[in-house]
Amino acid sequence: MTTQIEFNAVEKYYGRYHALKNVNLTIEKGEFVALVGPSGCGKSTLLRTLAGLEKITGGEVKIAGELMNDMPPRRRDIAMVFQSYALYPHMTVEENLTYSLRTHGMKKKDAQEKAREVAETTGLSNLLERYPRELSGGQRQRVAMSRAIIRDPKAFLFDEPLSNLDAALRVHMRKEIRTLHDRLGATSVYVTHDQIEAMTMADRVVLMKEGRIVQQGAPLELYDSPANQFVAGFIGSPAMNFLPATVGDDGHSLKLELGDGNVLPYPGELEAGRKVTVGLRPEHLELVSADEAQFSLKLRIAEATGATTFLFTDSDPEIAVVINDRAAVTPGEALNMRIDPEQIHIFDRETGVRL
Amino acid sequence: MTPTTRNTLLIACGLVLAAIYLFPLYWMYVTALKTSTAMFAAPPSFVPPNPQWDVFAGVWVERHMATYLKNSLIIASCSVLFIATLGSGCAYVLARYRSVWVDVGLFLVLMLQVLPASLMVTPIFVGFSQIGLLDYPRIAVIVAITAKAMPFFVVLVRATFMNVPAELEEAALVDGNSRFGAFFHIVLPLARNGILVSALLIFMQAFGEFVYSKSLIQDVELQPASVGLSTFMGPNSVDWNRIMAYASIYVTPILAAFVLLQRKIVSGLTSGALK
Repeated sequence: MTTQIEFNAVEKYYGRYHALKNVNLTIEKGEFVALVGPSGCGKSTLLRTLAGLEKITGGEVKIAGELMNDMPPRRRDIAMVFQSYALYPHMTVEENLTYSLRTHGMKKKDAQEKAREVAETTGLSNLLERYPRELSGGQRQRVAMSRAIIRDPKAFLFDEPLSNLDAALRVHMRKEIRTLHDRLGATSVYVTHDQIEAMTMADRVVLMKEGRIVQQGAPLELYDSPANQFVAGFIGSPAMNFLPATVGDDGHSLKLELGDGNVLPYPGELEAGRKVTVGLRPEHLELVSADEAQFSLKLRIAEATGATTFLFTDSDPEIAVVINDRAAVTPGEALNMRIDPEQIHIFDRETGVRL
Repeated sequence: MTPTTRNTLLIACGLVLAAIYLFPLYWMYVTALKTSTAMFAAPPSFVPPNPQWDVFAGVWVERHMATYLKNSLIIASCSVLFIATLGSGCAYVLARYRSVWVDVGLFLVLMLQVLPASLMVTPIFVGFSQIGLLDYPRIAVIVAITAKAMPFFVVLVRATFMNVPAELEEAALVDGNSRFGAFFHIVLPLARNGILVSALLIFMQAFGEFVYSKSLIQDVELQPASVGLSTFMGPNSVDWNRIMAYASIYVTPILAAFVLLQRKIVSGLTSGALK
């Protein structure tokens, strides 16, 4: 494995606003990396510094081992798919596709030949003469993708490319982009605010918050062992339940502060009396009979979607439970819950760090 | 009042106002065609009884209109060329960069627009004579008009550029173009309509420009048609029909261009000339 993209201690300021704080990230050749995080976390800024559309204030950006700090975008040999697709409205699909080849000095005939080849694989063959305004959203998306893959760039950058599509098409394009990535053996950096997109497409998920990388790793690594409460809450849908609790005197139990003395067992050992936050994933909570229950709370509302049912308790904080079944409980009745102690996440109450 | 009667009433009002507004134009054409007796007849006739069509050809030759109109055309074309070239670049910068200094620049640009030509002409005259520009009076007028009309152009075209998404330019940069290449290949073609419409308005303005031409150009051979018209009108002039014929020849091309292009002009000004 060779390193394709490198960020070393990258800093970015907009005036006094500190947008990227000491970002270190290495991306291998052929890897699909998703940058994910809430809006304003710096993920798009990081991508734009890689494209050369933003200058970094400090640190190093390298592509294929070459220092890129002062390199203009055109000399970085990267391709980018924009959220708005950014198709040139005054050019036909074919002209849109061949534009980058032509600016790199390819002959018109060869470029058109190449465009036809790419259009063949992306299903645009009969749309080459059309203008972007005559295409549907999905078709425009395809043109944007084709425009990126027509060259053989060192990296593909995606800036939330699916957020303008409807849900069904989005799921479809997810698979298509990943297939394309594997077929081309490309290196891809994919920015999204949608953690499902990140989880399903990427080899590695990089989660950012307030200009910093909070955690990076394989999608399930982030799901199984989140480094802190923020990661735990961001990855997984519906979001993890967080409950304040105190470690019991034996160090092996967690007293939930829900007002009625519920206690969860804990397999590890913690300092007695320590204030912690307990994280329970909605899909890990099981409904059981009253005598098997670890704790029970009153049901407030049940949302049935068919395959799964979302249950929300009448407590503070509210607890969400997901079951792959119809709810046998009606609002107002008690929900008897238990959880495999191995699935319990514990975070420090003050710092949010995983314990 | 029902909505239909109200509409009819409003339309009637509109027509009456339009008629009042356009009456001088109508009177110009009608007077041009009248004989001198018909011209001073009381009450005046709204349709000339004996139209004199050969007045146009007569005035054209006698007043050397070919030379005047050629000068007007040269001055207006060169001014527009200068303004479009310099102004587009200026408008682009003002559209793309946001800072306090850009706002200050924009304010100053608009300030220039406020100052009337008759106020500006004295300092311009003194300045130009000092640097010897008055030896080339048409160029002097072109420079003066360019300075005068530039703000108007910049403000209009800036709005057009702001309608071109910055992402398109970024896509062009990533696709391998330079900043200049992206401007000429992507931004300029997309802003073309707005620029053309603004240039057309500037052309019409420059074609009828009077104050600078009158003050800066002494040589009759170099004067534009607007000045030629004013020399036609002496304090004792009575041949109104021939003056009106001159005026008709002068304004009809502009008028025709405006009528033909008015749909484009209006949409270009309001929608930012995109899509």
